[in-house]
Amino acid sequence: MRLLVEISPHLKQKYDTGWVMKQVVFSLVPVVIASVVFFRLRAVLLVSVCIIGCLLSEVLVNRLRKRASTLSDYSAVVTGMLLAFLLPPKIPLWAAFLAAAVAILVGKQIFGGLGQNIFNPALVARAFLMAAFPVMLTSWVNPFNLEAVTQATPLALWKFSHQFVSLEKLFLGNVPGSLGETSSIAIILGGLYLILRGVACWRAPLGMFVGLSALSGIFYLKSPLNGSVFFHLFSGGAMLGMFFMVTDPVTTPVTKSGRFIFGLFVGILVVIIRKWAGLPEGVMYSILFMNAFVPLINKLTKPKSFGR
Amino acid sequence: MVKLSENKHPQEDFYTQKAPLPSKLVIPLVQHTGISPVLKVNKKDNVQAGSLLARAESLICANVHSPCQGVVEDITQYNHPVLKKSQAVIIKTSKSDYDFSLKHNLDNLSKDDLLEAIRDAGIVGLGGAAFPTHVKLKPLKKIDVLIINGCECEPYLTCDYRMMVEHTDSILKGIEILARVLEVKQVFIGIEDNKSEAVKRFNSKLHTRNYSLPQVRVKVLNSLYPQGAEKQLIYSLARRKVPAGGLPLDIGCVVHNVATCFSVYEAVFLGKPLIERIVTFAGSALKESKNLWVKVGTLVSELFLKEALEFKTEPRKVIFGGPMMGVAVDSLDWPIIKGTSGVLFLSEKDVDLGQEKSCIKCARCVDTCPMGLIPLELARLAKKSLWTSLEEFFISDCIECGSCSYVCPAKIPIVHYVKLGKQKLREKTAKPKA
Ligand code: SF4
Ligand code: SF4
Repeated sequence: MRLLVEISPHLKQKYDTGWVMKQVVFSLVPVVIASVVFFRLRAVLLVSVCIIGCLLSEVLVNRLRKRASTLSDYSAVVTGMLLAFLLPPKIPLWAAFLAAAVAILVGKQIFGGLGQNIFNPALVARAFLMAAFPVMLTSWVNPFNLEAVTQATPLALWKFSHQFVSLEKLFLGNVPGSLGETSSIAIILGGLYLILRGVACWRAPLGMFVGLSALSGIFYLKSPLNGSVFFHLFSGGAMLGMFFMVTDPVTTPVTKSGRFIFGLFVGILVVIIRKWAGLPEGVMYSILFMNAFVPLINKLTKPKSFGR
Repeated sequence: MVKLSENKHPQEDFYTQKAPLPSKLVIPLVQHTGISPVLKVNKKDNVQAGSLLARAESLICANVHSPCQGVVEDITQYNHPVLKKSQAVIIKTSKSDYDFSLKHNLDNLSKDDLLEAIRDAGIVGLGGAAFPTHVKLKPLKKIDVLIINGCECEPYLTCDYRMMVEHTDSILKGIEILARVLEVKQVFIGIEDNKSEAVKRFNSKLHTRNYSLPQVRVKVLNSLYPQGAEKQLIYSLARRKVPAGGLPLDIGCVVHNVATCFSVYEAVFLGKPLIERIVTFAGSALKESKNLWVKVGTLVSELFLKEALEFKTEPRKVIFGGPMMGVAVDSLDWPIIKGTSGVLFLSEKDVDLGQEKSCIKCARCVDTCPMGLIPLELARLAKKSLWTSLEEFFISDCIECGSCSYVCPAKIPIVHYVKLGKQKLREKTAKPKA
């Protein structure tokens, strides 16, 4: 009789990292559907190219570092999907592929792989494209009719021409914008699945909701031209950020209060950038900026242990 | 805290049987937390049930008795489920009967008589830590709340549950004794809500008012792990927090396990020392999971020899204690000791706990840690051998409950790293500074 001698506990939860990431993939399905509805074949192509790009880059790194395959943890798939959702629908496929490689290689593997990176890999890749090919990243098309000439996003319309798109359109997603960020309803559905299944924590999303609503609410009270709370919540990348970026386990704080604070600051920064910076959108930069502060937040919010 | 799959079925519904008498018993001298008692027998000595084998001659120490009639065959080093190896008296058994029937009348006994009876009986905490009970009954500070632990929050284990259901009256009489010795104002009996039968029995017995107890309340707690951990239990019941590094008596509380109360009853009313206990035998490798009255010193292998237990499949892991905090052993030749609440036999399908992967900082461990620690940091720092930094993350507060390892999707054996870290820190402080 050969008996295993190990340190307790001898009982572990069934799920593993791969299961967690797979749940994220499932929760992104409504967003994929919405993007296919609005941007047709482009959505299919972009999502596929980004996922394939991420997986290939992952394989490359594993080969170079002579490591066992990490594909089964599904994290590269998640990064690929999120990246696709952040890109303008008409972006050339080679650029999307390049971005996918950047996400995995620069965003994640340089830091040592899954769990080690400081910044959200998908956002790093998008920031890279924004710096390298700004025009490509600011050319938008209308949903359904992809051949139409360049359009302005709702946020750009508001910022530069003081026009508002109807909330109904924003909610459904029938507006120009990045592939997966336009349909608030689809994102909320997926996000709720994630939170109700206990896969993601609600604290950071709540913090972001509070920060964004409070500050935009104050501005709205001063002048309706600043845009209503709902306008700010449902436009640009706010929803995608709230449910799928600030909930990223790796790049957000581990303490309970830290998660809320992280979200809160992201929300506040989004409104500040939208109002005062030269750009109409600020979700990406707000999150990347706050990513850098995660170690500090963790330190400052370290809980007192029981009985101290 | 975390909800675990309980695996308490079906053993929780079976009446506790008596285990057959093994041909030999291996009785370690140290079966408690504290100093070793002094050996009082020699090789070839004849012993009776209840004969003193080793006497407690220091303060934090406990007597050890022979569980049955027999001959001392040897005194030697043997396997020990907590200490790995320790000195043990080996008895060749001849007869299992005993007659303990003092029939004391509680009213004629002084506080000191009670304490003496408990100390003589060699009673230790039966919930796991095995701290000598009489020491906890002479607290250095004033105690006003007595807490009785009937949580049994570890999966598989049902020995305390059976005890509560089958011996409710005796437990309450034991509590009566403890309450009298401690002169407490209030008694809480904490039971998890998955043991409603036990709750019912306590309430109906208490209803008869046959006990001279101070204010006593049976409190039903959520079945969450680790509800039965001392600090968590005190907080759940009395809303008092044991200070870090402190003891329950610092906040006027003391906790005793239900099985301990039963032993106290037997010691005082029958003059019977702690020589047997209920042990849960369970797990996927067993044909039938059950609870047995087992003599202290019984080797697990003997129970299979005497067909009290049978394997269904070959076990891959044998655990002394519960699955969350128990100790895995390398063979069946390990003795049941006073603090052994269960022995689990897991088959192949239950031992694959997954490969360790890198931490994804999901904070599940943080959210579950009952002590409010950051387990992922403890694991990370220990892995990097940054021992002293571990103290900044309050490693000494960790109760090694295993909740963090349980929930971790990356399958990081956090408790393993914590134990390693604690050991390194101990070595550091033990070494005189050059
Ligand atoms: S549960 Fe595991 S993976 Fe998650 S933060 Fe804790 S140690 Fe890391
Ligand atoms: S760190 Fe210690 S106290 Fe906290 S969950 Fe892990 S084992 Fe339990």
